[in-house]
Amino acid sequence: MDDYAIGVLTNVGLVSFVALSAYLLLLAGEMSFGQQAFFGVGAYAGGMLTAMAGLPLPLAALGAMALGAAAALLVALPTLRLKGLYFAMATLAAAEMMRILFELLHLQREIDGEPVGPDGTQGFRGIRWVLEHGIEPEGYLILVWGVLLAVLVIVLFLENSKLGATLRAVGADPELAASLGVSVERFKLGVAAAAGALAALGGVLYAHHNTYIEPRNFDIMLGVHSLAYALIGGLGTALGPLAGAALDVGLLEGTRLFGGARMIVFGGLVALLLVFRPRGLLDEKVVHWLRARFS
Amino acid sequence: MAALLEVKDLVTAYGKIEALKGVSLEVAEGSITCLLGPNGAGKTTLMFSIAGVLRPKAGSVRFRNEDITRKAPHAIVSSGVALVPENRLVFPGMTVLENLQAGAYQRNDSLDEDIERLFARFPRLKERAAQPAGTLSGGEQQMLAVARALMSRPRLLLMDEPSLGLAPLVVEEIFRIVAELHRDGTTIFLVEQNAHMALKVAQHFFLMEQGRVTFSGDPGSLAEDEVIRRAYLGSAKA
Amino acid sequence: MLLDLAQNTLDGLGAGASYALLALGFTLIFGVLRRMNLSFGPAIMLGCYAATWVNLNFQANLLLLAVVALAATTLAGVYVERLCFAPHRRGSAIAAMVASFALWMQLEELATAFLPRHLYAFPPLYAGGPLELAGLSLRVEAIVMTVAAAGACALLYAILYRSRFGLAVRAVIDSSTAAELSGINVPRVFAAVFALASAIGALAGILIASAHEQVTPMLGMWSTLKGLAAMMLGGLGSLPGAVAGGLALGLLESHSQWYLGPQFRDLTIYLVLFALLALNPRWMTTRSAS
Repeated sequence: MDDYAIGVLTNVGLVSFVALSAYLLLLAGEMSFGQQAFFGVGAYAGGMLTAMAGLPLPLAALGAMALGAAAALLVALPTLRLKGLYFAMATLAAAEMMRILFELLHLQREIDGEPVGPDGTQGFRGIRWVLEHGIEPEGYLILVWGVLLAVLVIVLFLENSKLGATLRAVGADPELAASLGVSVERFKLGVAAAAGALAALGGVLYAHHNTYIEPRNFDIMLGVHSLAYALIGGLGTALGPLAGAALDVGLLEGTRLFGGARMIVFGGLVALLLVFRPRGLLDEKVVHWLRARFS
Repeated sequence: MAALLEVKDLVTAYGKIEALKGVSLEVAEGSITCLLGPNGAGKTTLMFSIAGVLRPKAGSVRFRNEDITRKAPHAIVSSGVALVPENRLVFPGMTVLENLQAGAYQRNDSLDEDIERLFARFPRLKERAAQPAGTLSGGEQQMLAVARALMSRPRLLLMDEPSLGLAPLVVEEIFRIVAELHRDGTTIFLVEQNAHMALKVAQHFFLMEQGRVTFSGDPGSLAEDEVIRRAYLGSAKA
Repeated sequence: MLLDLAQNTLDGLGAGASYALLALGFTLIFGVLRRMNLSFGPAIMLGCYAATWVNLNFQANLLLLAVVALAATTLAGVYVERLCFAPHRRGSAIAAMVASFALWMQLEELATAFLPRHLYAFPPLYAGGPLELAGLSLRVEAIVMTVAAAGACALLYAILYRSRFGLAVRAVIDSSTAAELSGINVPRVFAAVFALASAIGALAGILIASAHEQVTPMLGMWSTLKGLAAMMLGGLGSLPGAVAGGLALGLLESHSQWYLGPQFRDLTIYLVLFALLALNPRWMTTRSAS
């Protein structure tokens, strides 16, 4: 595989984390415009933990995930009872605040004669744990996809368990779910925290892939893209967000299909697709059909 | 008398669930026809399907021998069918007068005469002409919903449970108006759970249960039939 | 001190006037459809790019550029409505919103395909210097902006409250089912509202582009964010609220920029927005247009 292909595939994997994070909340009936914030929290925290505190990547990832979950809870607590556009705007406002805080964050340490750490709008360079440990791009690709697949297996397993049924019930009809004895608010808080941790995990891997991050990596475009990936791919299965990310980042950007007019073609196609499949390619019906066919 | 409205084998579904499972009925020109039935029988679905708000899956609706099954709601209004919807659905942020003007949206002629006549019939509305409809009482809103529907000068007036949630005196008032409208030549197709009131005015009855018409007859046969008991049971459950 | 306060208030009102227009466009669309149109800003951007292209090639005056922007934005707006909102009228709000996002990307790429540079100059609203008045320097652009915005609001008010079409729009905002049953052609009202909202947005876009004397592809996202924030601040779905929200946003920006600096300006806006949403005061949840 050439470096370009490896880069594209790694990127597909990395965006899939945020898309999955948005997907979890969509299933719970909430449209978040702010999952990029937790991706950013993960990236900054993970980067600081390895580059500045000298922790190994796995530990840093755990720390970043905890921080991502905590940040998500902090946002979710005052906003989860909001509905629809109100929730979307509140999460957007929170994510933009987070991005501006990254811009204001100056916390550098001298390491080997070089300043390392977040430097406001100048970004945060020198997140070199992966390089220092001699991990080649192929190796990192395998690492990213390995983690993603592990997450996916867990999510797919949970989706088919009682927990997944509860999640869809909470999303489809919260009152009905509540009448069945589900504590809707606490359940949603749990989903928000898990989604935050998941985005943060993606962020850690993203930071160590790029070695350089800056606040505008985590602006609203990432958030809306991840929502779009989740919906385009389909709300029927956790494979949906992956399919969405693979379609856009992988197929179109990767193969340079349609050249410079990529979004002119793709944008129109997505809008058309949603006319016929408003819950995405892999919606509940397709998933049900596939399952009946192959099991 | 000839049929003004003919519904044939109408099927309307919400997703996979069929709310109407092949409904057939006729409303004679110049009649008051009443549709009875328990909650969830599909009465409102039928009204919305006739008015074009819901799109039937199969079957047909004919009005004055013209197929109106797939017409848009606004086109159905201009062909002469007006629905007074359940729970009234007035425009709460608009004044009473504006509500009436909106009801005549399909017309291009002068409205003054109609408004004058409706104000004479509903003096309460005249008093509140400049008030937002949202501030009216339930009974007044029902009057407004009827008046708004009449602004389109319908040949056929569909009324979906006009007495729902209103005090007995107001219900009597509503039925007095229904009788008046009928006397003035409007054909009325009424959904009602209040069978007592309906029996006083209607000439023909249909009973709907679980998406099907299960009885059709005049007041006499309705009173004889044990069906009436079931209809009452339906209203008792409501 | 007091002079600064007055000067900042004036500047804030000038910017706020354009935000008010953006919020009005958003509110109209949200009011009738209960849907969020992310492509609203990008359609405005496309209009401004069309005007810029005409300006580069034919050196037109500002009025003609405004007409070009108006036409292009309206066209884009109606296109978005047909493809993203008409098909989802009774269906999924999220699908409509994501579709409008897909078209955002499309419109943005279309604009940059014609004008690929990162930044283009745009003719200014007024080439002279500021007016001096009692120690205040009144920026003429701010005055023009405020007057144009006030004029647009008055015109919109007349359309909505004094015309037959306005009656239909308000009826659809109040209850689209009742509007259908009253004989109003609701899909046609949707398309017309999109055209009207786009026209208002195009006016805001031209004012903003010529006040900043530049256009960039960021204008799309910028307009969407400002319009959304102003709409939410003013109470979702209320037309007078949209104007109030726009002015409040402008004032909040100019004062926090002066006292706290540019980074804290945006932080303040989002903090206020977040806090208001979290506290969910009643005036933010009014639904009626009246």
